[in-house]
Amino acid sequence: MSDPKEKKNENSVNRSEKIGVYVCYCGGNISDHVDVEKVRDAAEKMPGVVVARTNSFMCSDLGQDLITQDLKDGLIDRVVVASCAPSLHESTFRGAITRANGNPYIYDHANIREHVSWIMHGEKATFKAEKLVGAAVGKAGLLEKLDPIQVNSRKHVTVIGGGIAGLKAALSAADFGLNVVLIEKTPFLGGNAAMLDKIAPFGEKASDLISQLAKSVLEHKNITVKTHCRLVGFDGYIGKFDLSVKTVFTDPSDHEQHPGHFVPFEGVETDTVVEEIIETGAVILATGFKSYRPDHGEYGFGKHKEVITLPDLIKQVGKVEGSSTLELDGRKIRSIAMIHCVGSRQIPGIHKEDENGYLNEYCSRTCCSSVLFMANKIREQFPDTNIYDFYRDIRTYGRGQEDLYDKASENRVVFFRFDATESPQVIPSSDSDYPLQVTVKDGLTFNEEIEVPVDLVVLATGMEAGDISDIVSMMKLPVGTDKFLQEVHPKLAPVEMAVSGVFLAGTCQAPMTIGEACNGAAAAAAKAASLLGKGLVELDPYVAEVDTALCDGTGACVDACLADGALAMVDGKALVTPALCLGCGACVAVCPSRAIDLKGWSLKQYEAMVDMIVAE
Amino acid sequence: MTKISPQFAEDLKQYGEDTALECFNCGTCVAICPLIDGSFPRKLIRYVQIGAKDRILLNRNELWKCLHCGLCSESCPRGADPGGILLSLKRYAVASWRKS
Repeated sequence: MSDPKEKKNENSVNRSEKIGVYVCYCGGNISDHVDVEKVRDAAEKMPGVVVARTNSFMCSDLGQDLITQDLKDGLIDRVVVASCAPSLHESTFRGAITRANGNPYIYDHANIREHVSWIMHGEKATFKAEKLVGAAVGKAGLLEKLDPIQVNSRKHVTVIGGGIAGLKAALSAADFGLNVVLIEKTPFLGGNAAMLDKIAPFGEKASDLISQLAKSVLEHKNITVKTHCRLVGFDGYIGKFDLSVKTVFTDPSDHEQHPGHFVPFEGVETDTVVEEIIETGAVILATGFKSYRPDHGEYGFGKHKEVITLPDLIKQVGKVEGSSTLELDGRKIRSIAMIHCVGSRQIPGIHKEDENGYLNEYCSRTCCSSVLFMANKIREQFPDTNIYDFYRDIRTYGRGQEDLYDKASENRVVFFRFDATESPQVIPSSDSDYPLQVTVKDGLTFNEEIEVPVDLVVLATGMEAGDISDIVSMMKLPVGTDKFLQEVHPKLAPVEMAVSGVFLAGTCQAPMTIGEACNGAAAAAAKAASLLGKGLVELDPYVAEVDTALCDGTGACVDACLADGALAMVDGKALVTPALCLGCGACVAVCPSRAIDLKGWSLKQYEAMVDMIVAE
Repeated sequence: MTKISPQFAEDLKQYGEDTALECFNCGTCVAICPLIDGSFPRKLIRYVQIGAKDRILLNRNELWKCLHCGLCSESCPRGADPGGILLSLKRYAVASWRKS
């Protein structure tokens, strides 16, 4: 290994001799285990370092002022901070450099808290902290001023899905001044919400909400709505996506549709296909959910016609006029069993996996309130119809939802509680007066077996991720183990996708209420607007760069590249499209002539780090 | 196996209290009852709630343990009045005994 001092001389042209090192106590978080002053003393002696300082909280205004002052005084031109994880305060210190009119990329960070003081003690800890600071100093000496990549962006967003979240996202984005295209595969706007009658907990009519929202969308001058339209191709990058979409106009009449076949007394059927490219800057996914369909025989579903799902019940009851007893298909319904958590909160080893080995282990979050809302509606509208509610747990979270439970008690709904290992059984009734009975080992009745004769069983089916595997593979979207689309961070980046410029709205992300779906949609629209509003998107400059003089045109880098379109051979030389480059370095590793390198993470910088780590 | 009878709440009305369905099974009445006896009186309230007529008659002797101190009714967070229900059940049990 070469001596760092020698190395310094070798690179003296590029190497900074004015590095400032700032070591943080983090209260006692670091200094209780690391001898911070000893680290400072060591840093001061490192090659290129002109000043090394400590502070009890380097992220405080006083700590940051040390850095800005040294920069303003011209004492330093590179900065190393040794403190917590860079995810916490890297941007803080870059900001400090920017305030002193410096380039924010002349900065490197040594994590001596999570990587040192939180996991080790004593001399070893101090030793490791010195090594990490040394590596950062080694790298800092070779840091160059970098400029963020600037991409001209289109002030245009495409919303995929015309349900309530898609409508809300389109409207919000358009109100922010963006041009919006909303594509929807069916002929209708409103999605799953259109299947509802009145909405829990407050009872607004779903049709009113959707009509109002859809009207605003259809009338908005910035929004183009394309129905019967599917995404078939995805290309480009943040700020500049090209979406291929296909619109198929088919005959809306009732007969089965077979383009190319002769339809008696009509003629040969055709369909009109329009394919086009939508040039857009960002994409908001609002593809929604699908309602869980119980297995054949699950709580008697499919076996007994008196077993239906909650969405079925909502649809059927919505059409019934008032009388004292509910009547469905000419049958008087004197008593209804409603069973919670069907297709949700499934437990490995207890519930049956689907054909792909999946279980829905999550709570669908909306069914409890929906069940109680329907129970109240039926009890109030049809007082001679009794309701028996079978639950594992009841979660009526959110404003106005707990009241639904109180109201259900008031309305004489009778509750039974079962354990997941002993689900209620739905079987033909022993009482000839009723078609079915539900038997349950009831936790509320001291685990006694209870037999409830009923005319109807309603299964509170939850939500499942919609089948959008074509879009997922086309856009390379991350999907969670629950099959819903996965955001970058559940709390700190809740509507962002790992694919830059792609956002999430509504139930394609997780089961949620209409209110929550609209929250997500508005957030996604705001994110898209703040991204595209300037007409310019700034990206981190840590991307591959080709030295065309060294490039032999082997194409090895293009083969190794993990990001489609980031690298291409143009006139025998490798060419990087910075906006698509992930900065992973796979190309750097395979180039036989070392012609390609990463800005901000170059091979030379790595070598300098290693040299400092192994230096005595 | 206990079969529920939705009609029972109606039947009980002639003997007094009709508040059992207010109960949300919290167990405060059991905790406050000076008898400290199993799940008394919640168990009987629950039987009324689900209309388990047979279970009530089977357990009717328990009804006469109650001293009617009123603590359960006073502390019930739902106004289900367990003491009042027990009183109704006593009347119901007596009436049913005479019938049989």
